[in-house]
Amino acid sequence: MIDRQQRIQALYEISLSIGPKETLEATADNALSGYLQKLNCSVGAIFQRRLEDGGIRYEVTATIPASPYGNDTLRAAIDHLPDTVDEQLSFVTELPITGSTDTGSHYYLMELPDFGVLVLGKRGGEIDEITRSALKPLNEKLAEACRSQLVEGQLRTERNRFEAVFDAIPEPVANTVVEHGEERVKRVNRTFENTFGYDERTARDRPIDDLINPEVETATDGSPTSLHDGSEPREVRCETADGVGEFLFRRVPVDTPDSREYIHLYVDITSQKQRQEELERYERLVENLPIGVYRTTPGPEGEFRLVNGGLVDILEGTSREEFQELSVTDIYVDPDERKRFSDQLLEQGSVDGVELRLQTVDGNPVWCEVSGIAVEEDGQTVFELALQDITERKERQQQLAVLNRVLRHNLRNAMNVIRGNTALLSDGIDDEELQTHVTAIEQRVTNLEQLSEKAGTVRSLFDQGREVNVTCDVNELLGELESEFEETHPSATMRIDEFDPVAIWADVRLKMALMELVDNAVVHNDQPEPVVTVSVDASETKPADSWVDISIVDNGPGIPDDERQAIETGQETPLQHGTGLGLWLVYWTVSLLGGEISIDDHPTGTRIILTLPRASGDRSPQAANVDAN
Amino acid sequence: MEITYDSTVEGVRETLASTAGSESVNGILLLSTPDPALLSADFESVLGDLDVPIFGGIFPEILHDGRKQETGAVTVGLPSEPVVTTVRDLSDPETAFRGLLDPDLPARGYETAFVFADTYATTIEAFIEALFRTYSVELNFVGGGAGTLEAQQPCLFTNEGVIQDAAIVATLAEPMEIGVNHGWQEIAGPFRVTDAQGSTLDTLDGKPAFSVYRDAIAEASGETVTEENFFEVAKSYPFGIGRMAAEQIVRDPYSVSDGSMSCFGEMPEGEFVSILEGDPDSLVEAAQTAHDHALSGDSDPEALCVFDCVSRVLYLEDEFDRELDALRSETLPLFGALTIGEIANDGSGHLDYYNKTAVVGALSGT
Repeated sequence: MIDRQQRIQALYEISLSIGPKETLEATADNALSGYLQKLNCSVGAIFQRRLEDGGIRYEVTATIPASPYGNDTLRAAIDHLPDTVDEQLSFVTELPITGSTDTGSHYYLMELPDFGVLVLGKRGGEIDEITRSALKPLNEKLAEACRSQLVEGQLRTERNRFEAVFDAIPEPVANTVVEHGEERVKRVNRTFENTFGYDERTARDRPIDDLINPEVETATDGSPTSLHDGSEPREVRCETADGVGEFLFRRVPVDTPDSREYIHLYVDITSQKQRQEELERYERLVENLPIGVYRTTPGPEGEFRLVNGGLVDILEGTSREEFQELSVTDIYVDPDERKRFSDQLLEQGSVDGVELRLQTVDGNPVWCEVSGIAVEEDGQTVFELALQDITERKERQQQLAVLNRVLRHNLRNAMNVIRGNTALLSDGIDDEELQTHVTAIEQRVTNLEQLSEKAGTVRSLFDQGREVNVTCDVNELLGELESEFEETHPSATMRIDEFDPVAIWADVRLKMALMELVDNAVVHNDQPEPVVTVSVDASETKPADSWVDISIVDNGPGIPDDERQAIETGQETPLQHGTGLGLWLVYWTVSLLGGEISIDDHPTGTRIILTLPRASGDRSPQAANVDAN
Repeated sequence: MEITYDSTVEGVRETLASTAGSESVNGILLLSTPDPALLSADFESVLGDLDVPIFGGIFPEILHDGRKQETGAVTVGLPSEPVVTTVRDLSDPETAFRGLLDPDLPARGYETAFVFADTYATTIEAFIEALFRTYSVELNFVGGGAGTLEAQQPCLFTNEGVIQDAAIVATLAEPMEIGVNHGWQEIAGPFRVTDAQGSTLDTLDGKPAFSVYRDAIAEASGETVTEENFFEVAKSYPFGIGRMAAEQIVRDPYSVSDGSMSCFGEMPEGEFVSILEGDPDSLVEAAQTAHDHALSGDSDPEALCVFDCVSRVLYLEDEFDRELDALRSETLPLFGALTIGEIANDGSGHLDYYNKTAVVGALSGT
């Protein structure tokens, strides 16, 4: 028989074992041990009730022994636990449940309100009814402790999650707390440590203003704590471990029951600011360019998306905004040309140096050269274009063409008349001295005719442009040059030094230039036997793997200084000019082929070096030799 | 079951060799009295060379053939192979005992466990609690504290040698009925343990523990207990920790200092303790009850295994023979040891660490 004092004592001692521990499991485990020890029970378990998917499940929180399903007493008790919500309703009303097994053990299921069920089992005896009834407040205390642990566990999980997020944020973050009117660091994340060079151990408990002292461009205090709650982010400049950095700083208040806390977030915008500054510099550059830079939509009409000041100036507008009211076709003299240009750019993806006849905002015609590309932006094609005013150049070309045509036509006609009259004059003169004057006139006429032909040749040089997509076998070229030289100058000698096979980027114009040089070497030679030597070598003045030197050496008197200086500087003056077009023809040819010309003195005469690009894989060759063109 | 007593270590060595060689023996229980030769490397090599598991301990005295022996050892050849778990660092509070215990042993047919622990280890209660939480009453436990009364020394036998600050759990498939009783009766209390550190009791009901103890004994029995005669008198007045529907758990005080009392076993703060008193008749009667309970089952035992507290010998003195008579059975061999603290459950309730208690196990064959 159990006396009252013994029962009260045991219940009190059980109550000592009920209380929050580190985890829910530890709380339940400790309490269960107290129940079993003080009630001298042999087995026990605490189950947590869980509602899941419309069903109900009792999950073991603590159990003695460790394998509850191997014990017949616990198993018999567990069989009472419901599986469905309906069973649960009747189960709860039946609690506490008492039962016994075939082996004489007794078990008890008791409600743990709003948590689950406590199971106790005893072999060789029972827990008397008074004690069982007296356990009810202890069970409620146990349930409360378990519930509190559940909540605490959830809070712990939340805190762990927060800590994980805190550390995972890729921007510097500090958690501060206001103590005695001063805001001190409580935690910093790893990025903060790396960025500002303070690890958490050294940063903790220090005033945040001691660690971060930002510079701001406004007159207000720049310290982090000066930013009022709810303020918008602001840009600050702070000293970091690697120098000064730019940050977007925000101070967010955190409400806690005991203290005022803040989260300081520093978004590193150093790179972004640098990019922005670069962009601004680039925009200024584009804005101030003397050419037009603009973006349009494709199509026969087209809309302006962006224009720079250069375009506004070229098209004589008043502002960039004015172009928002215009369609692109408005600046074309011929709207069909706009359509053709748009189609070409869409088809090719890019254009280079397309000459267009446009008109200004006021309708004044203007010649322009346009280059650009078609790009995809937000799923839409946009043209990005650069426009250059070439009106003056076009007019000069027109003038040159007219002058060239008029001069050559009139010159040839005049020469024909002079040659005819000179022939008549020659027939009528017997005086030998006078005859020499007639011969001199005929020679000058011939020279003028040759000059006229050369001027035509020069024009054709430029007509072919600068683009060279053919390769030239230098050995083959020089072979042809030698044949023509022998035919033209049978009394002169041409030598070609041996050289390794080499190909260069050049077309038929190179042969013309070389012919001009070897002709000159003979025509202006004062030696009884003119000798011209041609050699081919790797370039001496430019990278040898990309450039080839073709040298022409003669045994003549050399090139007059004025002519030589004009060629070397690329310009003539009234006082400093050559005698003809020959060397200029060579100069322009080499220049159009992307090469250079230089003139050296040579022990035997003059050496002219043409430095030309070696043929390589970065251009698409279209022909193997110059004759193919 | 082969039970052999040897009075010398040399004899023990020979018996161990012959017992291990027996075809019917698959494990050995060795209970010995203290002898320096047991701690030699030579003897440890004997243990290591055995081809069957061995377990056991060194105790102040042993029991054989119904008599206590102050020297020698008893060797028990077990018919089935025990699963021996050695738990080291028993004084380290960080040791995770539950992780070292295999909870599936009962499911694999094991029913009985001999448990011996170094009595000087400081977390024996935690270890016993871990045993109960793991196995509950799925195993019947019997055993006690090993060592000498003088000082800590290696006191547990394993195939790895003689070890200390450890515990051994040897699990057998053979069933065992167990009786556990002490016969001490409450004479004063309850008193609330208001301050205690482990096994040191500082205050009871908010007053110095010794003064409360002294006054209670004086009032209940008229006997005067002082710091000088404490050991002699206190052995008759242990503490009891209450459990419902069961005998109290005895805690034996053994010294007093500055008003605090040291006991064998923890004194849980916040709980209640009583002061107990015994007399030879009640103790012998309790031993008889334990004996009778052990033999009350349906099984057919082959031997009685007794672990009786050495303090009962100190208390009963010459009358301990009466207790041995009560523990003996006419037909069954008896072996065992006088332990410093007992570990047992009777198959029905909580497993505890006892003092001044008689534990009787009736061990069946396979």
